[in-house]
Amino acid sequence: MKRRYLVLLLFLIAATVNAQEKKRSGADKKRKSAAYNKKSKEDDKFLEKQWWLGFKAGPNLSKVSVDKSYAVVSPTNYDPSTIDKTYKNFSLMGSQATIEVSFYFKGFLISFQPTYQRSRFEYSNQFNWMDTIPEHNVTLNYHQEQKLSYAILPLLVKYDFLHGRLRPYVQAGIYSALLLDATTIVTVSGVDQASGGANEFKNEPVIVGSKDLFAKSHWGLLGGVGLNYNLGNNVRLNFDVSYKYGMSNISSTKNRYSSDRLSGVGDAMDDLTLDNVAVTLGCLFPLRFLSSGFKTLDKK
Amino acid sequence: MISVMLKKYYSLLLFVWGVWLLAGCSEKSNPTFDQQNFASIFDNSKFDASYFPIDMRETPDGGYIVLGGRRLSENSDFAGIYLLKADQYGKFVKEIEVPASTGVYPVGKLMEYQTKYYFFCMDAQSLQAQIANVDALLETVSVTPVQGNLTYPAAASFANNNFILLSYNNNDKLSVISVLNTDGGILKSKGYDIGVGSDDQIITEKYVIEHYLRTGRQWPFEAGVMANGLYYFNGFYNYTFSLVFTNASSDEPSNVAQGQSDKGGLSGVSYLGANKFALSRFSYGNNYFLPGKDIPGGDPASSDFGGFTLPELVPDAPVKILQAKTDTKNALVYASNTKSKQIGLYFYEQETGTFISSRYLGFSNPYEIASLIQTSDGGLAVCGTTYLAGRFPRICIFKISKDELNGQLGQ
Repeated sequence: MKRRYLVLLLFLIAATVNAQEKKRSGADKKRKSAAYNKKSKEDDKFLEKQWWLGFKAGPNLSKVSVDKSYAVVSPTNYDPSTIDKTYKNFSLMGSQATIEVSFYFKGFLISFQPTYQRSRFEYSNQFNWMDTIPEHNVTLNYHQEQKLSYAILPLLVKYDFLHGRLRPYVQAGIYSALLLDATTIVTVSGVDQASGGANEFKNEPVIVGSKDLFAKSHWGLLGGVGLNYNLGNNVRLNFDVSYKYGMSNISSTKNRYSSDRLSGVGDAMDDLTLDNVAVTLGCLFPLRFLSSGFKTLDKK
Repeated sequence: MISVMLKKYYSLLLFVWGVWLLAGCSEKSNPTFDQQNFASIFDNSKFDASYFPIDMRETPDGGYIVLGGRRLSENSDFAGIYLLKADQYGKFVKEIEVPASTGVYPVGKLMEYQTKYYFFCMDAQSLQAQIANVDALLETVSVTPVQGNLTYPAAASFANNNFILLSYNNNDKLSVISVLNTDGGILKSKGYDIGVGSDDQIITEKYVIEHYLRTGRQWPFEAGVMANGLYYFNGFYNYTFSLVFTNASSDEPSNVAQGQSDKGGLSGVSYLGANKFALSRFSYGNNYFLPGKDIPGGDPASSDFGGFTLPELVPDAPVKILQAKTDTKNALVYASNTKSKQIGLYFYEQETGTFISSRYLGFSNPYEIASLIQTSDGGLAVCGTTYLAGRFPRICIFKISKDELNGQLGQ
């Protein structure tokens, strides 16, 4: 379903681009027929460069990929893969807020977008103990939720396809993420059938500050698409969909077992990379003006 | 020309440099870290499987051998022998469940001599002490009966290429200290009356037998030798749980740090040199640590030794003491069981006996101490029992890196 939405969005952008291009080519013909005066040349030159400042925010979903798996429990008489962690991707919603500073030059923008990002992901694993009597068994389910806060420092190149009121763009770049905080929530539940009947239970969650278990920083690549809509009063509305593709390990290789509480409940972080898809809404303001009336000429 | 190109591709170079910088700073897998620091719980999916560790040694390949006991059956008197091999990352490699016909009731320490690891056990029928050994890869277990008639092994150590064994003679109700060669030949042996008594309050034999059957309290038996050649054992003597010093020949001990029947005594003994010991003691449920104690002559009472009180420990807690060395400091590490079901580690300066720091291992499930060693990389390895799902006894190992140990010692 998500893939369908993505295809639909790309289609809409392509259609908009096409329409805007047609409109612009018509306008260009008219323009060619009329001579530019000196003022309009100066304005065009002025509009070749612009600084933009904006704010945007929205939800995000995360996915992790396991590079190397680690576990506290080491089985002696069963296959270790039976207790491997099962990750659930794009299941827990996080959020983010971004300040955007962009420099526009001839259709391209260099954009720096410091972001506070709260990411969440979850995994679970299961342990079973069996008696010779089949009904006598105990099952424990461990569910771990990780909440990570990062200061993301992305550097992007954007390209505006059109120069009308609606300006779709594509963007790509790199980012560095600095870890601000991390919390791990472990919930143990299970079924105990050893007492003569099925006794289902769920323990109180164990909540542990786990910043030491994660790398202080990681980096990745970022790409996305978006739309700017010029409201005509120096404000651009911005809709942005971006995908962060983690390139380095987010777990601390040195402190993997440093939390005695989490090691005690049998949890050890895998080596992971973190991907994140974010949808944001926001607005942008120009910082260069033609006149004291804050006119930018960018009123299309 | 080059400068022109550099100017032209300035942005690209800056980008590449940025990526390179980010990649260089990123967290990378490091097998060394995985060896220096880990936590492992060795699980068996059988409902009725029950294992408890006794002692642990690091093997030349960087892995670990754990000597443990296991439940044989519901009706068996004694625990069976269990051996486990873990690799340098703490992952399970191999286990041996030694058949009861070979031996039962394993006793520490697990002692390294040449290329083998030795421990004592007992013949299930004759109850005679046996010397068992295993290689570093857990290929084969060999058992040699101890010559003479030493029964019920309780504790052992290795010094000067000989074993020092504390055993129990149930016929004559004696605590027996013996010096054995590696073939099981007795070089010296002497028994001392445990003081059976008729008083219901002091039925010493009952305590001893319940210890072997694991139906009662597990007593912190210990045996060793001092620099002056005197042997010592921590065991029952004259109605009390006492630290007894003897030349293993004389009818009377040279000195005795007396306990108070089963209510007071020493729960941990580690010889430091000369006349000095690192001790811990129990007294009517209370626990005290004594990091550096000269044992006075004249049969002193251990209840007069004082010490740091540890109210967080379980009553009459088992205590293991390790002499640990860092680059600049000699330390004593005490390990014991806390009331919060964790393994507590307490770090002291060896020279002054000053407390430095503490650390607690385990959470959620109960954890109990069995053994701790200093590893060849300068870190610590702590072996214990945890109860998975709150009920299944399983062996666990915590590996603490050298850096963490230095941090605990304030370096």
